[in-house]
Amino acid sequence: MELRTASAVIGFAESLETGSAKFYEAAAPRFAGLAASFQDFAKENGKNVQAIKRAYYSVISDALETGFSFQDLTTEPYLIETDLSQSAGAADILKIAVANETRIESFYRHAAKCSETLLADLPRVFKRIANSREKRKSALLEGLEKI
Amino acid sequence: MAVPRLRNFIDGEWVEPQTEEYADVINPARGELLARVPLSSSADVDRAVAGAREAFPEWRNTPPAARARYLFRLKELMEERFDELAEVQTREHGKTIDESRGETRRGIEQVEVAAGIPTLMQGFNLEDIAAGIDEHCFFQPIGVFSHIAPFNFPFMVPLWFVPYAIAAGNTFVVKPSPRVPLSQTRVVELFEEIDLPPGVVNMVHGGNLATNAILHHPDVAGVTFVGSTAVGRDIIYKTCGQTGKRVIAQCGAKNFIVVMEDCDLPKSMAGLMTSFFGNTGQRCLAGANLVLVGSGSFQKRALDAFIEAAAGIRVGDGMDESVQMGPLQNTASKERVLGFIEQGIREGAVLALDGRKPKLVDPDLPEDCFLNPSVFVDVSPEMTLAREEIFGPVASVLKARDLDHAISLIHDNPYGNAAAIYTSSGRAAQKFRHDVKCGNIGINIGIPAPMAFFPFSGMKDSFFGTLHGQGKDAIRFFTEAKVVVERWF
Repeated sequence: MELRTASAVIGFAESLETGSAKFYEAAAPRFAGLAASFQDFAKENGKNVQAIKRAYYSVISDALETGFSFQDLTTEPYLIETDLSQSAGAADILKIAVANETRIESFYRHAAKCSETLLADLPRVFKRIANSREKRKSALLEGLEKI
Repeated sequence: MAVPRLRNFIDGEWVEPQTEEYADVINPARGELLARVPLSSSADVDRAVAGAREAFPEWRNTPPAARARYLFRLKELMEERFDELAEVQTREHGKTIDESRGETRRGIEQVEVAAGIPTLMQGFNLEDIAAGIDEHCFFQPIGVFSHIAPFNFPFMVPLWFVPYAIAAGNTFVVKPSPRVPLSQTRVVELFEEIDLPPGVVNMVHGGNLATNAILHHPDVAGVTFVGSTAVGRDIIYKTCGQTGKRVIAQCGAKNFIVVMEDCDLPKSMAGLMTSFFGNTGQRCLAGANLVLVGSGSFQKRALDAFIEAAAGIRVGDGMDESVQMGPLQNTASKERVLGFIEQGIREGAVLALDGRKPKLVDPDLPEDCFLNPSVFVDVSPEMTLAREEIFGPVASVLKARDLDHAISLIHDNPYGNAAAIYTSSGRAAQKFRHDVKCGNIGINIGIPAPMAFFPFSGMKDSFFGTLHGQGKDAIRFFTEAKVVVERWF
């Protein structure tokens, strides 16, 4: 699905954060070594949604290009896996987590680039979350190497 | 479910109007009847003005800081109900939900700025203008003011005036557009919720009858109006002159957007689309005439990109977050726009993008109020398309030899609301800003909408009055300077 408006982008970002949180909440009890990190990730996702919405509602203006700034942004490359199969082992879970974080990071970087003209606040939040996703990914990869 | 019948809000009470005449309030995207709005009588206006007049002495003596606190509470409520307020706008007007949220934010900004009244309203003084004599200037409220609102920004535009007027100690009668009365009804409900003293803000729904009653009422000190030039200049401004009222009449527009060959075309396109097709072209700052300046190859490239972007705009119900452009506000608006398109064809312009047959995201929606974007090329400055305000999603493309030629095209037009230039040349931008006789100038900005702390300007046939809405101008409009020369023996 194509994302053309700020509200559609915000809505999709929220669905990514919610889906990602759901994934980590389900994974935490099954992965003692990273349970605490997974729970923190899920909590941070909730804060990300708040930060994005706060930025959007604070800067949105009828005069800015909220309806026309987002180009070539579709949901398909950024869809994440949120369900965990019962048979998934620790390595499987981490691989899915890394793949999810990679997609989410790419989404935020693309959205930040598209929204450069929507005052600074919104792209700044998108970039900040993308950076934090990059760090998460490194932590997950480290975990994967230890298995 | 029964369709609500709206009532007036007078002296702190919701009251039945003294009229049997009602108009339908329709959701233009879906054709649903949302409410019935009374077309109030002059007796209703008399009652509202009487309530405002009675409330004035006590409100005027309420300290400015205390008056400001009501506005802080109003802002808090507006933030809490942000999405609900935006959804009302989209339902009654048709604009996209992003546009409604943007309108809500800009309305709230007015309340925030007006809450600075203890500073904004301060006067000035000078000691020793002569031996032992000091002189002071105070700004004092005047009495009852009124606003006659347009349909295109049902939430925001009344807030260009009401918060400043009441913050300054005046009382108010607002008359929303009968086409979109629900947004202001919600605002007035919030005024009620913050326990604003009765009579400080009153609301009378209605049409021409109520407008005339306001214009001729001896107890109304001033009127603010946003709407067409025909009404603003020939009725509002003229009548206020005859009846001795202060007036702000922000009127029609025909805005030129000049695109220079040195502009960053890809980065400019979102701004151009917003300017021409945002709010379905129904705003006084909307781009109407696209002036391409430069070589033939640039003009072709720019035109192709503009048409391609316009053709791709998703049209539908503004509540759908994927939609980029909603319907016209009613069927009459659509008919009016279609009339201009026919006229353009008759006068020899070429309809390069034909938006007359709507292509909707949801094909099940009624087409009654919808149009897709239209783009005319080979438009000459004399054509109706280039001269008259269409107020719809229609762009007329003109060509200019150079910047001087482009500016002369702007100056040949009777309107002077807004103009914008897209360029990477500081020199061109500086010349444009300096020379162009329009109230609001955009440099690589398609909708140069002044923030709440700047005046919403306008020149030539786009503005009648002296002071403008918003910010310090509004405070001066709603106050009288009183000078005191003081000596003590």
